[in-house]
Amino acid sequence: MHLKNRRILGAALFFVVCTASAATSSKAEVDASAIVKAAIDYWRDTSSYSVARMTIHRPDWERQMTIRVWTRGEEQSLVRVVAPPKDAGNATLLVGNEMWSYNPRINRVVKIPSSMMNQSWMGSDFTNNDLAKADDLLDQYTHTLLATEVRDGHKVYVIEARPKPEAPVVWGREVVAIRDDWILLEHAFYDQADRLVKRLTTHDIAPLGGKLIAARQRMQQAESPEEWTELRVLQAEFGVDIPASTFTLANLRNPR
Amino acid sequence: MLLQLAWRNLWRHRRRTWLTIAAIAFSAALLVFMITIQLGAYDMMLESALRTYTGQMQIQRAGYLDKPQMRTSIAAAQALAEHLRARVPEASVAVRANGFALASSGTRTYGVPVVGVEPEHEPGVSTIPALITAGSYFSGPAAQEALIGATLARNLRVGVGDELTLLGTGRDGSIAAAVLPIVGVFASGNPELDRNLVQLPLETFQEIYAMGDHAHAIVVSGPSLDAIERLEARVAAALPESADGLVLLDWERLVPGVRQLIDADMVQSWFVYVVLIVVVTFSILNTFLMSVLERTREFGIMLALGATPLRIGALVLLESALLTAIGLAIGVALGGAIAGYFRVVGFTFPGMKEIYAQFGLPGVITPQLSFATLTLGPAVIFAFTLAAALYPALRIRRLRPVEAMRAA
Repeated sequence: MHLKNRRILGAALFFVVCTASAATSSKAEVDASAIVKAAIDYWRDTSSYSVARMTIHRPDWERQMTIRVWTRGEEQSLVRVVAPPKDAGNATLLVGNEMWSYNPRINRVVKIPSSMMNQSWMGSDFTNNDLAKADDLLDQYTHTLLATEVRDGHKVYVIEARPKPEAPVVWGREVVAIRDDWILLEHAFYDQADRLVKRLTTHDIAPLGGKLIAARQRMQQAESPEEWTELRVLQAEFGVDIPASTFTLANLRNPR
Repeated sequence: MLLQLAWRNLWRHRRRTWLTIAAIAFSAALLVFMITIQLGAYDMMLESALRTYTGQMQIQRAGYLDKPQMRTSIAAAQALAEHLRARVPEASVAVRANGFALASSGTRTYGVPVVGVEPEHEPGVSTIPALITAGSYFSGPAAQEALIGATLARNLRVGVGDELTLLGTGRDGSIAAAVLPIVGVFASGNPELDRNLVQLPLETFQEIYAMGDHAHAIVVSGPSLDAIERLEARVAAALPESADGLVLLDWERLVPGVRQLIDADMVQSWFVYVVLIVVVTFSILNTFLMSVLERTREFGIMLALGATPLRIGALVLLESALLTAIGLAIGVALGGAIAGYFRVVGFTFPGMKEIYAQFGLPGVITPQLSFATLTLGPAVIFAFTLAAALYPALRIRRLRPVEAMRAA
């Protein structure tokens, strides 16, 4: 029964996609990529500074961290932990696909090896890759518009991203839902066997730093409902002037 | 009367009888020797698998084995270990805590498991402390020191005295970080351990990983593999009431692969044994058949004198049973004596000791002598030969007295 429904739904979707692509020839595919690019550009802007609270939830415990994030262009990010005091000063620098971690207690910078990029970032449900390789969604995937829905008066594009054959990616496919004002509503990750592994969902959309952004997002593990990480943006600024020297190993180690 | 007759018949062809007995004795001795050595080799394999690191059994929090998470830990683990040491003095008991870290030498970084061990008790459950190839073992339970596997040391390009940076996540989710000097490098012979493992003194580990008095495993090993089940019962009984939610896991649960390996090897060896037994059986069948065929005239006379075919059949069967029994008795004595000899001096072949010395193991197989290992093989031979003897015995029923007496 369930399966049958899904099949009908699949057939319907297929029909929609077919007619859509028949009507606009290859334009649908171009559009899907453009929408993903627009969403990433909107989220990252030319540069940004934000303060966020990260809540890591587990069945028997919960923990909060406050972080400050600087980004510049699509390649450079710096994350610094402000609270709790025990972890304050820990920082992560991302330049391109490379990643370094700094710990003040031992005063050492450790480069994260590529084999560790799928490990959890600071114990959360985000992996290092989720932070470092957000742009891969654009470069390493082909995009197909699965559906166009209307939610809360907005048009929402549901886009499937499949990795290109030679892409160094662990996921089988990803499905994103992007609102017509380029806010990411949902990002689901499927493994090679097409099982849902985790899903990022946007819970609050609020005006921060002069524009509407996803102010509260939650990364949820599909197999265990009690395991999630929530990221709540407390403060944000976009298009601010951030010097290039912010994103250097020297600054990672000795913040100005 | 029948027995006496069978006994006399047996020695009518002394040479043939002795040859057959020799064949049976040889195969029985070979079988006894092979089975005792094989089971002894399994013990050694198991010993090497368990003594290197795993231990004979471990106490863990329920669920840790399937999903090892930092928070699935044992509270007041060292107190519990002390309690066990007092209650089960013959066992070696050591506490371990497990974590994960990015281990960095500055230029190179690897993600590796990090284990906190009790330096004063770990040597009782693991051979690693005795297999230090460079440097030394920990100087104390809270020493700020690290011990790493030889392959990992090579990969990180570090040696004794160099600093090792560890970056991981603590039990409370906080960031665990430490810079420790490498005090020693070990080569356990187990590639998995040598390539991956970093060990710290337990108290140092507990501090870095915000563990408090928690740990993840209490490793228990007894002096011998034979006493594992008894030890397991003793340890289970010694666990206090407060140990709610903890489980005692034996090696079959901890390293199920070893049991599977043994089972697979067992099946393979039995295939060889069965071939051996079948070959022996056919050669014996030949002897039995000959002795019946050449005695057609004799059986004819016996039938004419009033002996029933059943009685003659029983006679033939008894002859074969006696023959086999003598052969097996000699075989078991011989095989048992050889196995017993090697049990005293230890079975080894050139080079084996050297190979096993690398793993910190004696490299000597001690044949496993027991009622089962001595009699199982011969019992199967006995069953096969009796089945073989049935055929000639049943042929007798087809004999007609007059025709049989005229037979040449």
